[in-house]
Amino acid sequence: MLYRRRSSPNVFLAVLTPSESNEVSPDAALVNRLLQRDVSAFEDLYDRHSRIVYTLVLRILQQASTAEEVVQDVFLHLWRNAAQYDGSRGPFLPWLLTLARNRALDQLRLKSERQRRREEQAEELPPVVAIPDFEGSLDEKRRAKRVRELVALLNPKQKRAIELAYFEGLSHAEIANALQEPLGTVKGWIRNGLLRLKEGLQATS
Amino acid sequence: MNNAGQFRDHFRELIEAYALGSLDAEERAAVGAHLATGCEECTRALEDARLLVSQLAYLAPEAAPLDMLRGRLLQTVRAEAAAAKAYTSAISKSAIPLWMWGAVAAVLFFALYNAYEAHSLRETIRKTQEALTAQMELQQESARRLAWAQREALILTDPRSMKIAMSAGTKGMPELQATWHHSMGIVVSGQKLPMPSGNRTLQLWLIPKAPGAKPMPSMTLRPDADGTFDLLVANPPDSPSGTKSLAITEEPAGGSPQPTSTPIWVGAVAGK
Ligand SMILES: [Zn+2]
Repeated sequence: MLYRRRSSPNVFLAVLTPSESNEVSPDAALVNRLLQRDVSAFEDLYDRHSRIVYTLVLRILQQASTAEEVVQDVFLHLWRNAAQYDGSRGPFLPWLLTLARNRALDQLRLKSERQRRREEQAEELPPVVAIPDFEGSLDEKRRAKRVRELVALLNPKQKRAIELAYFEGLSHAEIANALQEPLGTVKGWIRNGLLRLKEGLQATS
Repeated sequence: MNNAGQFRDHFRELIEAYALGSLDAEERAAVGAHLATGCEECTRALEDARLLVSQLAYLAPEAAPLDMLRGRLLQTVRAEAAAAKAYTSAISKSAIPLWMWGAVAAVLFFALYNAYEAHSLRETIRKTQEALTAQMELQQESARRLAWAQREALILTDPRSMKIAMSAGTKGMPELQATWHHSMGIVVSGQKLPMPSGNRTLQLWLIPKAPGAKPMPSMTLRPDADGTFDLLVANPPDSPSGTKSLAITEEPAGGSPQPTSTPIWVGAVAGK
């Protein structure tokens, strides 16, 4: 689990990316074994990443049963289409999270507008199963903590704008409307917020 | 594509929002078109931005999926891996070898000349036909196993299937998972089951809803040497709506018309 760090300008990526030596990351090795229909590799990948995938999908969909369906869908997609992951384009987990987020947002858009509004008004988070920590590496835990700290430093509306974009799939215009702020302000917040997160993560690593 | 510095910078500034998916349709299309020109700087920036955006997942309150989801996924994945194996062996075992087609051609060629006169020729024809039939049977057997595994995978993955947890009455016995699809049948599976003694076998029963009705016998199966139990009942004797619960008992080899022991596993069929 020890990745040597890249000396590229994108230092923050180093925590996520295997070194540029020929060492293959554990995830990439497991994905390769999926291509051989190796069930135990699938089990390992599930155990390593199902929590963060479920965490993300549940946050987007706010409903445990639908979230589980999407998580099932995501992992079956991984099992059946492992070849779609291209290790040379970046580490595995961000790829998997992007896939999961897209699936969850698709599912969210399927819900009727009425139902969605009702849920937004209620603004109710589902009961969260108390979990001491992610099963992932210590690196992952540290990173999770750091991401939360860095985003907490943003002004609350800026944070909300980023959350609306990421977890609810809203566009700049929709966010401006939801927060009753000018469009230009919202665009600036989001970009500035993401860049500050990036700087913070770079400084951390 | 990147000699127009102003344009490049303009797109570069939109890359984070593009990765986040928050651009409006027009801007998104413009950035997409620019990326399609192969601008290296923006392509690299997009890969970085995707990594950055994926980190936002850690803002969500931590939660964990139920263990049942893991079990369900693994069942499906195991069934599909078995199907893939059956398929591979179907291909490798049953392709009719080239030499055999050669033999068929040769046989036909001589047959035209000799009009079945020579006994040896008839013998050759007979042997070739036998060999071909054996090949076809092998192919059918592999195809059947493949179809079976596919059916099982479909039952396990179709969201309309009903999931039934079958818990054991005895301590230390693992739980079984039943999945019932209204038209494709029931799959019951579990891991690490103890082997029934002697020739005895496990038998599935459908307990009808109607009061006083007798349990309906279904199929029998012994766990394999690893203790894996994987039963597919393509045509259950009743529908989910007529069934109160599923039960599994230990029975003499071949099964029984009615249960002769108390069920080891029982799972309630959720009524609609
Ligand atoms: Zn560019």
